[in-house]
Amino acid sequence: MPNQISKALTEGTGLLRGPQRVLPLIQKLVSDRLHTIFDQRNLYSYTTTRRPSEEVLNSLLLWILDAQRPDGGIAAYYSLLTGYSESYPEVTGYIVTTLYDFARATGDDRTMVAADRAGRWLRSLQMPSGAFPGGLHGVEAQPSVFNTGQILQGLVRAYLETESVESRTAAIAAGDWLLSIQQSDGSWSGPEAYQAAPHTYYSMVSWALAGLSESISDHRYGLAAEKNLDWVLSHFQPSGWVDGINLRGHPTYMHFIAYVLQGVLECAILRRRDDAVQAVAKSAWVLLRKFETNKFLAGAYEADFRHGHRFTCLTGNAQMSCVWLRLYDVTGDLRYLNAALKINEMLKQFIPARGSRGIAGGVSGSYPVWGRYQPLRYISWGCKFFADALLLEQRLTRSFEPSRLEALPCAS
Amino acid sequence: MRIVILGSSVYSETACAMAVRLAQMEQVPVGALALSTLNRGTLLRKLRQWGAREVANYARAKLMPQRRDQAPKLHNIYLQPLLNPKGDLFRSLREVAGLYSFPVAICDDQNSPNAIAQLRKWSPDLIIFTGGNILRQTVLAVPRLGVLNVHLGLLPEIRGMNSPEWSLLKNVPVGITVHYIDAGIDTGPILQRYEFPDTVARESLSDLRNRLIAFGVEKVGDVVAALDHGSISPIPQSDLNEDRQFFVMHEWLRARAAERLARSRKPSLAGTLNE
Repeated sequence: MPNQISKALTEGTGLLRGPQRVLPLIQKLVSDRLHTIFDQRNLYSYTTTRRPSEEVLNSLLLWILDAQRPDGGIAAYYSLLTGYSESYPEVTGYIVTTLYDFARATGDDRTMVAADRAGRWLRSLQMPSGAFPGGLHGVEAQPSVFNTGQILQGLVRAYLETESVESRTAAIAAGDWLLSIQQSDGSWSGPEAYQAAPHTYYSMVSWALAGLSESISDHRYGLAAEKNLDWVLSHFQPSGWVDGINLRGHPTYMHFIAYVLQGVLECAILRRRDDAVQAVAKSAWVLLRKFETNKFLAGAYEADFRHGHRFTCLTGNAQMSCVWLRLYDVTGDLRYLNAALKINEMLKQFIPARGSRGIAGGVSGSYPVWGRYQPLRYISWGCKFFADALLLEQRLTRSFEPSRLEALPCAS
Repeated sequence: MRIVILGSSVYSETACAMAVRLAQMEQVPVGALALSTLNRGTLLRKLRQWGAREVANYARAKLMPQRRDQAPKLHNIYLQPLLNPKGDLFRSLREVAGLYSFPVAICDDQNSPNAIAQLRKWSPDLIIFTGGNILRQTVLAVPRLGVLNVHLGLLPEIRGMNSPEWSLLKNVPVGITVHYIDAGIDTGPILQRYEFPDTVARESLSDLRNRLIAFGVEKVGDVVAALDHGSISPIPQSDLNEDRQFFVMHEWLRARAAERLARSRKPSLAGTLNE
């Protein structure tokens, strides 16, 4: 509780310490208020391109580069009240993959350099056990399963890109630590898990382990990933809902629902588990229908996707875009591609084209910005997931082959 | 047979053409119910949906032609044989109703109690839906036989929006389905499916859509005649558990559908069906 009070005080007095932030804050509040009044919610929303994807992608990457701190880590967020946060190890880890993807797609050396710097900083944080700490840099030094898994993504990618022995060693140490504390049922719980409880969104950790297994050809990590995959799959409900997200004191944000689906899907693709792909397709289809019907995904849902909250979690929308695009990639069902193109159009409209550092090109936690998920903040993982979605969109639309459509399966 | 036409507005070309087609078959509608064009709710909704510029374009297209000194234009030229039978173009349901003597009623919502009371008063055997609201069960229960719809795709393969475009991308034959409306989206019993003859030229996606609409108006006449003679009966759709619904298509995919249409374009042998 004292921690929360101090956090609230810091946020509350942020404007006193940075009065230059008052105007952008008012502008954003007014803009979102007007936008919510005149929001377009109709069948033809988001079917036309108003901003080119390349332009938005560049602005997202510029936001991420601006958020890189002198230590090499990426800030968690830019708050409209307090400015940039400290570096965030977890997000820095999985942003590394986006930086390399962007560099590959565009030949932009700046993101390659940023990824290398981020990788060096991450390796400096690794604990002797192989684990990585949770929370913001310097705030918490407890080992964290989820953060270690997310950072493992970046280490594996850094190794694949640079063949650096340091990255390989760090990745193996992280993987070994994750295996050492995995429960017999495949989950992770105990003090190293958030709120000391098992979570189905740790499927993101399985994805990282499956990636490690593939990259160094060591099946132990793949088997551990599948063990967790089976545990997560046992929480999928007939409605498509996934139990076990388990966030005490928080609603089930779209961000975490999408984490479960994305982690399971990517792990399933790497491990060639069609049953898991089908399970994700079922849940993703429920959300696709909601998006097509309502023109947005709620920021949080109650069990069985009932009672969607009124705000939108933009990061969760971007993650669902990634999930739909990957489902199109593996099933060929064009309805996933169609929904992803439209949700990307919607998200593009929320990215500020102008503004000061930390605002221009940023993805706010919620729309409207005062929504419950990361209120009054532009968050780095939002930029990461939306950049991933646009990079995927770019790859899949460029390789779109009409001849492939001859034998299209139907989604269902 | 007592037939009522539901239209999205009194200026709906499809509703007008449908009324003319029925009248030419000596099945003059007992009434037509159209959505009001200029009520506050519709105007606000359209402003939100389309934006001010599109609403202005719509108003110019629909309202300005009423001036007698301007040459009237049809949005869908393939309806011209029905809408321009004697050189004088029908521009609204009221004009068609004036010639063939049937009443036209206006409502703000086709599901409203007033609209339902009006429909009951006409006591229809059949309602033909050419546009308007998503109909609720209370409306669907009014006619003796059902509410008939022309879907611009072959059911059950392609349900939902942008059916011609999805048909092209999924390599399903382009066509129409005449079916009864039920509580689902394009899931009602099928009366007849018609593939669109591939010998007919299609210049663009909008051209194809217009041709399909005209094709549908013509074929509804055939279905009504068959219903009148009792020579056709509805067949429930199969695969209702499979989700075959398609949604409004993003312009990038529409462009791919247009490319496919261009590649499949054949030399015009028969011109339009209405010629």
